[in-house]
Parts: sequence; structure tokens; C-alpha cells
Amino acid sequence: MFTDQVGKGNSTRYAILVVTSLVMMFPFYLMIVMAFKNPKTILTGNYLLPSLHPTFSNFINVFEAANFVGYLGNTVFVVTGILLLQLLLIIPAAYVFARLEFRGSGLVFSLYVIQIMLPLEALIVPNYRIISSLGLINTRVAMILPFIGSGYCAFMLRQTFKQLPQSLEDSAIIDGCGHLRFIWSILLPLAKPTLIVFSLISIATHWNDYLWPLIITDSDKVRTLTIGLGMFVQHESGADWGMLMAATLFISLPMIVLFLAVQRTFIESFMTSGLKG
Amino acid sequence: MYNMKHRYLTVFVYLFPSLLFLGIFTYYPIFDAFRLSFYKANAFTPQPVFQWFKNYIDFFNNPVFWQVVTNNIIFAIVTIVPTMVLALLFAILINEAKVKAPFRLSLFYPLLIPYAAAAMVWVFMFDPSLGPLNRFLGLFGFRSIGWLGDRRYSLLAIMIMTIWKNLGYYMLIYLAGLQNVPAELYDAAKADGANWFLQHRHVTLPLIGPSTLFVFVVSIIQSFKVFTQIYLMTQGGPGYSSSVLIYYTYEYGFKFWQLGRASTLTSMMILILMFLVLMVFSIFGRRVTYQAG
Repeated sequence: MFTDQVGKGNSTRYAILVVTSLVMMFPFYLMIVMAFKNPKTILTGNYLLPSLHPTFSNFINVFEAANFVGYLGNTVFVVTGILLLQLLLIIPAAYVFARLEFRGSGLVFSLYVIQIMLPLEALIVPNYRIISSLGLINTRVAMILPFIGSGYCAFMLRQTFKQLPQSLEDSAIIDGCGHLRFIWSILLPLAKPTLIVFSLISIATHWNDYLWPLIITDSDKVRTLTIGLGMFVQHESGADWGMLMAATLFISLPMIVLFLAVQRTFIESFMTSGLKG
Repeated sequence: MYNMKHRYLTVFVYLFPSLLFLGIFTYYPIFDAFRLSFYKANAFTPQPVFQWFKNYIDFFNNPVFWQVVTNNIIFAIVTIVPTMVLALLFAILINEAKVKAPFRLSLFYPLLIPYAAAAMVWVFMFDPSLGPLNRFLGLFGFRSIGWLGDRRYSLLAIMIMTIWKNLGYYMLIYLAGLQNVPAELYDAAKADGANWFLQHRHVTLPLIGPSTLFVFVVSIIQSFKVFTQIYLMTQGGPGYSSSVLIYYTYEYGFKFWQLGRASTLTSMMILILMFLVLMVFSIFGRRVTYQAG
């Protein structure tokens, strides 16, 4: 039986894993190879193998054709703004739900949980009307505000804070430690795995944002990387695959590098964080 | 020690800022969407006109609406089921393998690539004449498929790309869940003569219920927010063959500027999402807790 072979034979297992990994990696491989290839060579269908004389002209053309450095600045601003404000607003809230329960706190907490089920993407029309009545259309702030009240963050942090023993808090309070100091010097250091996992997921999620920035911005000055790439494709008619892949690689690389840098901590933290549900 | 008054003040101060943002950007929008869904509001009506359920009835009588809803259901089923099965399979295989890191990374990295970037690569993958997919299929004698330009294949193409993109995230959640399964249970199952498949059927599956529930709920929500890849790869086309609810809402709201109708679609989407999530929790929620407990 097939399943038995998978279980017993290590070679079958690795064969499956290797083939799958190669298939999964192929689009990324293609992106890199084509970004350094002469566009004319690509059109001849000769794109599968890396060229012996890689060219950087695709990248030079991309930066000349569109303001990708500016887009990068906007994306970094928006992504950092979202993460910092999420943590600033949600950490106290999660603390309340984990340690300061009050009558009706379950009900209030469900307001955060329901928010997880209603992604902003589903609420773009009313949110557009709100941002427009606040006079914030076409600003970088508008790309930040709707994501701050993150139910996901509240859910994860509450789980984590709850796992810490009550005795810890009691002794801290006897020592005259206020709530803020308790959160800052005891809870947060202990919650580090969850904070790392949440931060990386938040950054990757909002680096990825498309629909909301698309409808809320209409000038090149405030555009983010993803929107910039979309506009770039429309302007460049799409036939220049070398340039397109260079731009694509440019907007993907920061996330890949960030992840590789923190991979070990991230994986370890992910395995121990409260994310398992 | 804290007195009660002080405690309630703390609770209020700590909750107020985040509740304010939830109110403005989640709960008021829900109210606003339902209210405007009963109005005729578009670029040509300066003052919205109340018209009861007309927007809803018009959609129910519109075959395009039903096509879009059907597409969304197909999209949900065809992405969720294979993604969950494959994610669990690979989580188990990787968990049991000695070498883990490269496989984990190669399955997980698509999550880090923005949809906009991934869409570009996959447009090339699906290119009818130049793309590697058709060239690969050609080796086995298949005729060239139009993929994104063919109404029979456009939705399928989007689904393939989406599975590739999300598989690693769910795999990682399962991998985390597997760390909680005690190894002795497998030894016990092995001693009872259970093969690899039976061990996982009777030990792994029941014990990773919470992960499965989490993955299921997240992927249902995900399947209602697919926008970027559709916008960049097919624009919902050809015709409406790859359009889903969120894309249809975007078109009504920000291409046709019919905010009343777009709000009607938004309201229906809110109802569908709430219904699905409540259903999942009421069917599976209790069983999962028992099994995990």
C-alpha cells in the first residue's frame, strides 16, 4: 500500500518532500532567473536556465521607469505604523481581558473576536466613506488607521498573558508594581515568542495589502510597493518580462530577507505561541 | 491593593483606545453598510433615495450575481479542501523527517511574497505560448490551454496559485499542533499493529482538532478576501468567469461608483461570513474541545 511505503521507507518520504519543494520553489526560481535575463532571450522561450552573463539592466530600467524607492519608503512607513500602533493599543486591552476580568468582559472581548471574522476587505465600501468624510483620502495615514484595532492581536496576546501564573502578578502587586510596570517588565518579556510571531505576520500581511491602498490612494507620492507594481504593469504593457520580474523580485526580497534573518526564532516561537488555537 | 473604582478606571483607560478604533472601522461600517444597502446611491443621485429591498431583489434576479456567488463557493471548496489535506500531509511528513528546515522553508516562503508579486510570476507561469506550465503539459502531448484567458480555466488558474500561496502557512499551524501530540501514543499504536496511515488516522487526527478548526475558520475567511490575484491576473474575467463577491463589490463600488449596490453586496457578505463562522463553531467547536480535553 502506498501509505505504508510513505510511513516505512525514508527514501519515499524524502522523494515526496524533495519533489514538492522543487515544485513550490519553481516560481521563485523563475522570478530570480528572469530578473537577470535579457528580455529578448526570454521571449525566445529560453528562460529556464540562469544565463551565464547576468544583466542588471532590468533593475536599472525599473528604477528609471517608476519611483520604486519612494514606494518602498511608503510601504515601510505604513507597515511600521500599523505594527507599532497595533501593539500600543492592543497590549493594554489584552492585559485587561487576561488579568482584569470584569462583569461583561467576555462580551466585550467577543467584539474583538468578531473583528477577526470580518476582514477589512469585506468592509471597503463603508470604510471608504468614513476615510473620505475624515478628509483622509490619498494619505498614508488612511492606509494605517483601519488595521489598528486588530482582533487577531488581541486574541493571541490574551491567550499568552493568560498562561502566566497568577502568583506572579500577586507578588508583583505586593511589591508595589503598577499595571504598566507589570506589563512592561514582566508580561512582555515573557510574551516575547508571541510578540515575534505576531509582528512578523502583521508585517508580512500589510506588506501584502492591495485592495485598501488601491481604492484609498490615487497619487504616485503615497503609493506603496504593491500598488506601484500593479500600476507599473499597466503602463509597461506587460511584454517586458525581464523588467517585470526585476520589479517583482524587488518588492518580494525585503520580506524574504527579514524572514531568513529571524527564521529560527520565528519557527521556534510559532511552535510555542498561542496560535495553535 | 487596588480598590474597585481604581480598577474600573484602569479597565476603561486600557480598553477605550482599541475599542474606539474597532467602533470606527469595524462596527460603524457594518451599520453603515446595512443602512446604505436600502438606498439608491450612485454617482448620478446626489442625495441617496430610500428604496426598501430593491437592491437586494435586483441582485437576486441578476444571473451575474449568482455566477459570482457560485464562483465564490467553488473557490472556497476547491481551495480549502486540498490545502488542508496537503498541509496536514506535509506537516506530518516534515515532522517525522530528520531534515526539516529546507522543506519547511520551501513550503512556507510563498506566504512572504506579496500577492501582487506572486500574481506577476503566475501570469507568466500560465502564459499560453511562453509559460512553463503549458510547455510542461506539452511534453505529455496535452494541447495548449488558454488558462487566464479561457473562461473554463480562469478560476482554476487562480485557485492553483492561491493553494501554492497559502499551503505553507497552514502546514506550519499543523506542525505546531503536532508538537502537542505525545510520542508514546504512536508507540502504543505501533505496538497494536497499526500501520503509518492508521496511526495518524487514530492518533494524530483526533488530537489536532483545535489546529484543524483554526485552519478551517481562517481559510473560510481567506476565501472571501481573494482580491489581488483576481484583480491583477484576470480582472474577474473572461466575462465574470473568475469574479468573486469581493471583486464584484469592488466593481460596483469603485468602478461603477454605485455605493448603494456595493453596500448591498457588502451586507450580504457580512451575513454569509457570520453565518458560516457560527455554523462551523456550533458544529465542530464543542466536539473539538472534548477531543482535545
